[in-house]
Amino acid sequence: MKRRINHDGPLFSLFALIAGLAIIVPLLFILRHLFEPSTDAWRHIRQIWLLAYIRNTSVMIFWTAFGTALIGTYAAVLTTRYTFFGVRVLSWMLVLPLAVPAYIAGYVYADMLSYTGTVTRFLRLVSLPQLLQPMTMAGAVFIFVFTLYPYVYLFVRAALKRQSAAYAESALTLGVGPFRAFFLVVLPLLRPALIGGVFLVVLETLNDYGLVAYFNIRVFSFAIFNAWFSFGEVVTAIRLSAVLLIMVFVILVLERVLRGHRRYTVHVKGRVIAARPLRGLARVVHPFCLWLILGFGFLFPTMQLMHYAVLTWRNTLNMTLFYNFMNTLTIALGSTALIVVIALMLANFGRFRPKGWKRAWLKATTLGYAIPGAVIAIAVNLFFITVDRQLYPLYRWLNPASPVLVLSMSLGMLVFAYILRFMAIGYNSIEAGYDKLGETFTEAAYTLNHRKLSTLLKIDVPLLKSSLFAAAVIVFIDVVKELPLTLILRPANYDTLASRIYEYASDEMIQDTGVASLILIMMSALLIYALSGPKKRGRSAHVRPY
Amino acid sequence: MRKLLVVALLITLGILLSGCRFGSENPEQVLTIYSERHYDTDRDIYALFEAETGIKVNLVRDSADPLITRLQNEGADSPADLLIIADVGRLHRAKTFGLLQPVASTVLHENIPENYRDDEGYWFGLTRRARVIVYHPARVNPSELSTYEALTDPVWANRVVTRTSTNIYNQSLMASFIALWGEEAAKDWAAGLVANFARNPQGNDRDQAKALLAGVADVAIMNTYYIGRMSVSSDPYEQEVAQTVGIFFPNQATTGTHVNISAAGITQHAPNKEAAIRFLEFLVSETAQRLYADANFEYPINPAVEPHELLTSWGAFKAQDLPLSSLGVHATQAMTLMDEVGWE
Repeated sequence: MKRRINHDGPLFSLFALIAGLAIIVPLLFILRHLFEPSTDAWRHIRQIWLLAYIRNTSVMIFWTAFGTALIGTYAAVLTTRYTFFGVRVLSWMLVLPLAVPAYIAGYVYADMLSYTGTVTRFLRLVSLPQLLQPMTMAGAVFIFVFTLYPYVYLFVRAALKRQSAAYAESALTLGVGPFRAFFLVVLPLLRPALIGGVFLVVLETLNDYGLVAYFNIRVFSFAIFNAWFSFGEVVTAIRLSAVLLIMVFVILVLERVLRGHRRYTVHVKGRVIAARPLRGLARVVHPFCLWLILGFGFLFPTMQLMHYAVLTWRNTLNMTLFYNFMNTLTIALGSTALIVVIALMLANFGRFRPKGWKRAWLKATTLGYAIPGAVIAIAVNLFFITVDRQLYPLYRWLNPASPVLVLSMSLGMLVFAYILRFMAIGYNSIEAGYDKLGETFTEAAYTLNHRKLSTLLKIDVPLLKSSLFAAAVIVFIDVVKELPLTLILRPANYDTLASRIYEYASDEMIQDTGVASLILIMMSALLIYALSGPKKRGRSAHVRPY
Repeated sequence: MRKLLVVALLITLGILLSGCRFGSENPEQVLTIYSERHYDTDRDIYALFEAETGIKVNLVRDSADPLITRLQNEGADSPADLLIIADVGRLHRAKTFGLLQPVASTVLHENIPENYRDDEGYWFGLTRRARVIVYHPARVNPSELSTYEALTDPVWANRVVTRTSTNIYNQSLMASFIALWGEEAAKDWAAGLVANFARNPQGNDRDQAKALLAGVADVAIMNTYYIGRMSVSSDPYEQEVAQTVGIFFPNQATTGTHVNISAAGITQHAPNKEAAIRFLEFLVSETAQRLYADANFEYPINPAVEPHELLTSWGAFKAQDLPLSSLGVHATQAMTLMDEVGWE
């Protein structure tokens, strides 16, 4: 063991240390505000709003988690265990709602159901009243559920595909009905996947600002911005995000406690359950439900956006939009590449059963995902300004006329913030890939005296190809959709599709977001197609080790 | 795979190091503006300034508070020359934070009426927006309308809509009342208004106008600006909304209609103060003001420039006679009071 590590020096450890520091230090910049004395704004918020914030946030998280778990699992089970007309298309298309940012869906649904909206106008035409109130808690949960369920769907689907037929079949042989077998055997085994997916959903929900602000739903992310906006108080904003962090932590601990000492790792050696055809009425009902889910999450909003695009493309489809698109594409590709590479190094550091401080350190590097975007933005901005001031002598040496702020005026600051924010997604996907892979191949390479780096590049990377690609796709989509960081940290004269959409929307010109939104959604949709679209036979065979 | 990785890394590094941005170039004299305004009109005006002076305008755009925080963080090293915000209360806040510096310019003094610039010269108004009562003509006769205060009358129970209390336009409206009537009276007004709300506040200004046509409410408190924008919306149905509703300027016989301004201040550590003053003077010139008025449905700050004809068709109005810095002074208090009376 010792000798092996000396091959390239402590390559991965050193890397993990640096990456960890780069992520933790900026956060410390902001956390020290926690211990400053209370302000009037904090007292005011605590007296009037804090309970409401906690209640609303809990309600929103609960129903969103419940809804996505239900729909995600339902869709995953149907598309893996049954065959029916259109299942191949559906099974990848059901991931598409991931490409639709919740804030865009929010604007679109609110408009469709408003007085001038498509749905209301149609209902007026047929003399029916429009009774749906989109801008409510229920409306927000609806939108979160139908745009975020793909996280659960992806996780559960992958788990179902690996689940051996033996368990369910034993249950059936022992005389348990298929329904009970599902709830007693199949579902409990899905628990880690389900939790993993739902946890991502919860974090995304907690981090959304655009939708809850527009709908005026008093949840934490809204409160954090509001403390900052209305009271001009960064300290209160940070304090609120600390409360939020504690809530996230409690949820995590709760899950650990409920899980107890049970283990869920199942190694598939046996057959996977063969898909059966749907029969009778189910042949119609289930596919209809799935298309409806896809409709709510993707098809309907996209169709409405197309309508907007037709109305406004003359004004909005221009060179500026092309530059915005190129900016989005390059920064997303660059950030994604960096995140995947760093995550790969971190995952290597964390392989071979990390314990104690090693584990804690790895956890810390993925903290960014649980912290509200606005708070990360302030932290990163402060950090970069400090670094710039330290580096000023160097800048002056290179260029006597150099300003003090160089890095903090560059795109690097935004890329850094993306890395901090989305490291968890990249890391978790790659770690899961390594889990599936096991250690034998790498061990063998080390035994054969391969160096660490060449082992990583020649053995691990090819074996992990599909995990790396999956990680890259999800990170890319998240970067493309990201809003608060992009708005706060982008350099002068720099616009992305998301920031452009935000500007139109904040000027209440939802129709003008049409073209930009469609491009943004299509970029992500294409990647989703590449990731999970119908595969040529035999291609996956040499990718997967088993 | 290895090649792919190397290529990807090289591209990334290239982008990062060069700071390359699509659609930008490198000029000699640069003016850096931190602005909350993000309208195409503003961009056109800046382009005009660039063409006229050869000074390149660098624009950093975000909401007011992130920009203010950023200025604070950057301190003396900030590259910003000018801060432009669509709410005078925030500029006042920037002034009290010591982020701005006073400027004396006869051009600015001549083109901007006294009450629309800071008396110490820290900020200068660029455009004005009026917050008015919008009504549905089928259900409300304008003769029934008089003042903001009258909307708290039980006659209007379940008939009023407006945005949330987190919205800056409502906060500055409330702040103006605190300045005019004192805290108690302003709080009573807010409580009375909340009691008459037809629904929980939600959506943006356009949504309030739509609520009138949907029959949810009969009157809405909103900005004239958005009626103007809706009248040229790409959605023909929004145009219909703008054409249907009526505009009423409240408090004409008393304190005047509430007005907020977009304003600009030169930053404390502006590296290019000269150019910044020149730019400010340009923004209030008749050329630039004409563009603001015609394309963006805002009331020009320069009295020599007529508003857009749609705005003139609503008639002239008397604005609140109030030092606008009071909107900033009472901003936090306004927010607190609105929370206390349950204005969501």
